[in-house]
Amino acid sequence: MDFAANLFSTGTLSQILVGLSRTTILFIVSSGMSLILGVLRIPNVAHGSLYMIGAFAAWTVIQFLGGGLFAFLAAMIVAPLIVAAVGFVLERGFFSYLYEREHLMLLLLTFSFALILGDLVKIVWGSEYRSVTVPPFFQGSAEIFGLPLPWYNLFLLFIGPCIAIFLWLVINKTTLGKIARAAAVDGEMVGAVGINVGWIFAFTFVLGSFLAGLGGALIAPMVNISLGMDHSLIMETFLIVIIGGLGNMWGALLGSLIFGLTQSLGILVWPQFGIAFPYLAVVAVLVVRPRGLLSSTW
Amino acid sequence: MRRSAAPLLPLFLLVALLALPQVLPRFHTYIAAIVLLTALLATSLNLAIGYTGLYQFGHAVFYGIGAYGTALTLTRSGMPAPVAFLVGPLAAAALSLVMGVICIRLSKLYFGMLQISLGSLVWAVVYRWYSFTGGDDGIHGIPLPDAIASPKGSYYFTLIVTALCVFAMYRIVRSPFGKVIQGIRDNPVRAAAIGIDVRLHQLASLVLAGFFGGVAGSLFVVVENSVFPDMMFWTFSLEVLIMCLLGGMYTFFGPLVGASVIVLLRVFASVHTQYWSLILGTILTLVIIFLPDGVLGRFVRRPRSKEDAGA
Amino acid sequence: MLRVESLVKSFGGFKAVDGANLHVNAGEIVAVIGPNGAGKTTLFHLLTGHLSPDSGRILFKGKEIGGLSPHVICRRGITRSFQVVNIFPRLSVFENVQIAVLSRERKTFRIFSPVKGMAEEEVHRILRSVGLFDQKDVESDLLSHGDKKVLEIAVALSGNPELLILDEPTAGMAPEETERCIRLIRKLSEESGLTILFCEHDIALVFEIATWIMVMVRGATVVQGSGEEVRRNSEVQSAYLGESGEC
Repeated sequence: MDFAANLFSTGTLSQILVGLSRTTILFIVSSGMSLILGVLRIPNVAHGSLYMIGAFAAWTVIQFLGGGLFAFLAAMIVAPLIVAAVGFVLERGFFSYLYEREHLMLLLLTFSFALILGDLVKIVWGSEYRSVTVPPFFQGSAEIFGLPLPWYNLFLLFIGPCIAIFLWLVINKTTLGKIARAAAVDGEMVGAVGINVGWIFAFTFVLGSFLAGLGGALIAPMVNISLGMDHSLIMETFLIVIIGGLGNMWGALLGSLIFGLTQSLGILVWPQFGIAFPYLAVVAVLVVRPRGLLSSTW
Repeated sequence: MRRSAAPLLPLFLLVALLALPQVLPRFHTYIAAIVLLTALLATSLNLAIGYTGLYQFGHAVFYGIGAYGTALTLTRSGMPAPVAFLVGPLAAAALSLVMGVICIRLSKLYFGMLQISLGSLVWAVVYRWYSFTGGDDGIHGIPLPDAIASPKGSYYFTLIVTALCVFAMYRIVRSPFGKVIQGIRDNPVRAAAIGIDVRLHQLASLVLAGFFGGVAGSLFVVVENSVFPDMMFWTFSLEVLIMCLLGGMYTFFGPLVGASVIVLLRVFASVHTQYWSLILGTILTLVIIFLPDGVLGRFVRRPRSKEDAGA
Repeated sequence: MLRVESLVKSFGGFKAVDGANLHVNAGEIVAVIGPNGAGKTTLFHLLTGHLSPDSGRILFKGKEIGGLSPHVICRRGITRSFQVVNIFPRLSVFENVQIAVLSRERKTFRIFSPVKGMAEEEVHRILRSVGLFDQKDVESDLLSHGDKKVLEIAVALSGNPELLILDEPTAGMAPEETERCIRLIRKLSEESGLTILFCEHDIALVFEIATWIMVMVRGATVVQGSGEEVRRNSEVQSAYLGESGEC
């Protein structure tokens, strides 16, 4: 375990870039959760399940359209839409009636949906692994710092900031976004000025779900699509959102960066326990700044 | 009516439980043992969540550490069994103290989330440390003293330990400490204003909850002869939480009822279907929507004075 | 007994307390009055440790207590009641007072003795002295508003304080309840020599029972003195001019 040598080789840079592309996925999914948490005050345990549905749905779309670049791009749009629809049903059908309950109850309700959705995925798609191959357009690697980095990872590195900017525009520059932010701070007031807060909440939840689904669709070519994806992701997402500051978009980005990088570097430096590094980072952050690194809307 | 019948009911139950292995087949005795230790686990969680009002989302880690502590002591150190049964719960209590000190400064939700994350850290370490903990395989074939190794023996051991621990927790809840933590749950500002060191009492409550959770883990070793990392996975933590909710978080026996229902349902469901999560999720949804006080909570309301009719 | 010097507390840009001064001598009944938003409750929170001062000093019996935690301050001998009723709603009247007594007796870590009959005599005594003995087994959430406020006082008394702080003790009370409360405050002061500090909107009440009055306007102490001195003070008159004296 030659830590120093491992850490300062070019392998590190390549690992960092891989970590960053992973960060993209984490960021997309976490921003969705942060949005929901910030505006609706619901810690959405089902977020991981939505992510998983996104991945499986992407597989189905690609199968249906026969593979290739077009199928892939279509999947990137259709799968998140499907997940957004699921989110809409959940929000309108259940959550909207229970907002005045305590957080504990809402959290457990989202957990119950995580359980139900998990098994629904099992029913619809079965228990076997699925996989999606990267479309020919993205296959192969580019040479970065003298090491091969898959094109797909570069694509992810590109997409990440795009989504971030898009979200920033939606939240800060559109009327809808401004209303949602106001509703996060004071839902009653927003209702009192005649805006239907319910639809704001629905919109937010749907957008958050869309993001979860998008994350799932994007990661589909990189991993085995399997049951259990939801469980591993949800914990990471929660932690990212906590260290970044509840409801804070930039916090989700920061948290994702910290998480993605500590994980990649951790595995590089200490392969056996590398996966523990992000958790340690989380603990360290929370001990020093209990409310998260950036301001939260709570 | 309830008051005079009350002491008889647990007694009757105890007698029934004692007689159980004599009449039921081996598998059922095994299930009954699992029910008992899970009931203990749920009750220990309720100490933290129902009685102290802390968002204890990561309780399974104490169960797991209690189990692993006992298992590792039995398999790796030369120490006799009684020591192993102390090591497990004490390790869980120690971990609870450490985690408590780290998390207690945070409020409500943050506390719960940080606890889950610390628990996940522990899980990740146990999962990866193949050489010491057996990694994702867990540890199997753990040697036990003859008296408690047989199905009947393990059952009676579990019954006795569970009964003692539940009784202890019952006393704790009815003690000054028990009232104080309930006061802290309902009104921490008021509690501080009357001189109660809120943090200290919360920590004590966490340590007790962790300790008894660890005992439940040790009992699992006796009944199952093995341990595995998923015992401390966060989904199990939430499952135990569901048991408390289902039975009634603000009653003492609620978690016992909830645990029994869930374990029995799980066993029954696993025979007939592979969609246990779906069933559990549906039950939880129904409980949250229709029975937020839990099964027992619905039927047991605090006895009130006749005077309040006019107040 | 209590000295407050140049206390300042801001929230963001807003100075809730901006130069408050107060001195309270043992055995007195002292009132703090002032228009709405003058910072009276903030001052009380600073005194009892629920908030930390930005600057200034709070000396209780000669020792600095600014910034200490509420439970520590309680142990030093200051207890309080709250403006918005702040009892343990799920516990009975008896249990509410009992917890406070047990806390004072430092028995809160006893885990194996049943709490049922503990400190019964003491709790009964306190309940009798405030007139709530008849309702001792009622779940406190079900009491009338006035009774809840009296329970607040009873709980504060259980700590055996040297200084009792009451935050708007008669707020929301019907006239008879207010009368009862005034008599209670008087009784506590006369019989036990308890030092009492309170704030109130009901100016008439204040002038009736307070031996010393401090007036706060916009977070600062405008004047401290006996009822007569305060009444004659021109700043006080202008602060209340045009208002019905409501805080």
